[in-house]
Amino acid sequence: MGESWALVWGLRGAVVLVVLGVWEWAGRVPVNFAFPTATATARAFAELLGSGALPRAFGISAQAFLLGYGAAVLVGVPFGLLMGLIRPLGRIARVYLDLLITMPMAALVPLVILTMGVRITSSALIVFIFSMPFLATNAYGGVRDVQARLYEMARAFDARWLQILRMVVFPSALPMVLAGMRYGLSRAFIGLVIAELLLAPFGVGRIIVDARSVFAFDRMFAAVLSVILAALLLLSGLQQVEARLLHWRR
Amino acid sequence: MVGPLTNVQRSATHPLGIAIRGVSKAFGRVRALDDITLSVEAGQFVAIIGPSGCGKTTLLKIVAGLLRPDAGRVEIGGVPVTGPGPDRAMVFQDFALLPWASVLRNVTFGLEVRGAPRPVRHAVAQRVIAKVGLAGFEHHYPHQLSGGMQQRVGLARALAVNPQILLMDEPFASVDEQTRRLLQDDLLTLWADERKTVLLVTHSMDEAIYLADQVFVLSPRPGRLFRIIEVDLPRPRSSQTTRASAAFGRLVEDLWGILKEMQ
Amino acid sequence: MNRVARGEGMADGLPTLGALVALMVAVEVVGRLDLSLFLPTFSAVARVWWQLLQAGPLLGAALKSLVAFGIGFGAAAAGGVVSGTVLGRFRLLGQVFDPFLNVMMSAPLVAFVPVLITVFGISDVVVIVTVFLFTFFVVVVNTRTGFEGTDRRLVEMAQSYGAGEVQLFLRVYLPSALPAIMVGLQLGVVNGVKGLVVGEMLLALVGLGEFLVRYANVFLITHLYAVIATIMAVALLASYAVQLVDRVLIRWK
Repeated sequence: MGESWALVWGLRGAVVLVVLGVWEWAGRVPVNFAFPTATATARAFAELLGSGALPRAFGISAQAFLLGYGAAVLVGVPFGLLMGLIRPLGRIARVYLDLLITMPMAALVPLVILTMGVRITSSALIVFIFSMPFLATNAYGGVRDVQARLYEMARAFDARWLQILRMVVFPSALPMVLAGMRYGLSRAFIGLVIAELLLAPFGVGRIIVDARSVFAFDRMFAAVLSVILAALLLLSGLQQVEARLLHWRR
Repeated sequence: MVGPLTNVQRSATHPLGIAIRGVSKAFGRVRALDDITLSVEAGQFVAIIGPSGCGKTTLLKIVAGLLRPDAGRVEIGGVPVTGPGPDRAMVFQDFALLPWASVLRNVTFGLEVRGAPRPVRHAVAQRVIAKVGLAGFEHHYPHQLSGGMQQRVGLARALAVNPQILLMDEPFASVDEQTRRLLQDDLLTLWADERKTVLLVTHSMDEAIYLADQVFVLSPRPGRLFRIIEVDLPRPRSSQTTRASAAFGRLVEDLWGILKEMQ
Repeated sequence: MNRVARGEGMADGLPTLGALVALMVAVEVVGRLDLSLFLPTFSAVARVWWQLLQAGPLLGAALKSLVAFGIGFGAAAAGGVVSGTVLGRFRLLGQVFDPFLNVMMSAPLVAFVPVLITVFGISDVVVIVTVFLFTFFVVVVNTRTGFEGTDRRLVEMAQSYGAGEVQLFLRVYLPSALPAIMVGLQLGVVNGVKGLVVGEMLLALVGLGEFLVRYANVFLITHLYAVIATIMAVALLASYAVQLVDRVLIRWK
């Protein structure tokens, strides 16, 4: 596969170069007075990083993020598992979860801000409501997907309910739960960004909004990209953990 | 009374006999089994055969304690069956292995359920894995193994808990014919070595005659005991001697005749 | 999300209706308890909703939103299906773009909205592009999966009967990929509506999103709930609409 592997990566590199090239060109033309070049953005990014402004902002945002996402995992996953194990609960709750998943959560943000004011816990709550339904739904699916045959096998060996949970249900549901955590993580980021853009006074959202108001568009772009980058880094980290835990898969 | 770990610690097993008395089972309006009465002597190898839907798997599950009969009862060694127990172990047609667990982990499943300490579990598992011919594969995962090898793991898992009765639900139906023959011979070897009572459900007339001492033929739904065939072919059996013999061929044809009769 | 991907879609009709009714009853009861300014009764919200509908602003805003959504979604659906088809049929291209697609699917695309605002200014083009972005990649990925998942044996069978490229595409690849394409569109619609709301809110200028921000700013709680309920209804209707199309088109499933 060596040859085609090189071709694929070569083409990918080409795509990246083309995109960067077009971006640079668009900034120079300029497509819009507010559109910075790729190089200007890169410079602004380095500056933000060096000055410590970006790390500090991330530190603040991280608090809300970890609080919200952590709570979503600690509430959503067990709830989803319970939904799978207790049929009537699952049947009722899944309908509401489906509604929550379809619903544009952003619409609830003004309500949250109104009721709770502008603070870290509001951001955390927004992150929570963005990610929790997905975590619960996936955990639910994971439990429901346990092969019936494995239940039968465990019972044939006279396993008790708690043993079946520990030895069959949880390991079987794990892949779905982890996938849900991954998806929940990206949703949590979406919630964080929306919260920050609408709340603005702190975190990375603050940098974005401030930069825009003083027309420092290269800094604004840099901040936006840093958020995207952070999301991707966290996600890939989670994927590594997932791969490690699910090493038994081909 | 047999305790949870007693069988594991015993080195020799005393096989037990199975007495099925007047067992009936229905699922809603579908009558799967109707008044089945049959006996299996301790240490016997018995096959149950019949057309699809005749309830043979249902009967096996009732003996395993996974299902309760609507009428009648099953006694093992004189003791009525109320649920699954350490005296029986089951082998499944689709292997039913835990995909996330290694061969070793899968084999120790029954032992882990019964609370055997880890060193005991591992020691027993290693021995039994070697017995089924999978030495060296302890740390492989099911998806890395062929169908035949996966079923060997299933067999090892059942043997690891040292049951007195082995219940097999069409165990070789999911593998190709060559593998099936190898597994059949290995099963006979294992059985000769550690005598257990074996109840094997199968679709294959060939397999029933080749492996068993007695073949119980069940009729189509509702399953009733239609005929019993005594298989007095000499043991030890092998493909070269037994399969080629005239007696074998005749018995298979007799069985086929009975099955046709039921249609 | 994965349950939609498995074809279960939204909880079907009756249970959803039941759940919604139960929710309305619960909101009414809790509202009557008069616990807080922020917990109105369902009937109060319904009354305000009716007022807004009649007075005009809600309907007008909803229509504007619908138009923006239609353009963004339509473009993304068409473009997405075409792109996904290309990526699915030509393995090399699919491989090359795979990591980029993963990035676009995992990244919080919301973050681009301020960028869009600076580029396009304060106009509903921002909303249209936001809807497009939110929908496009989901459709592409699902369409591509649909084509990649075509059973090779069917292809070989058709080829053995002498089918040409076009026939192969129309008679084997396309029907095989259709279910996945529909799933992509269903997911795309739900995502697109989210993009719509987010875009409008951040723009704070047009459509339903703008109303959300406005009512929040002036503390009209009941009005706020009315708009939220409207948005939820829009989201559900859009989702059902696509599911209906799916059921009509993919009857053989």
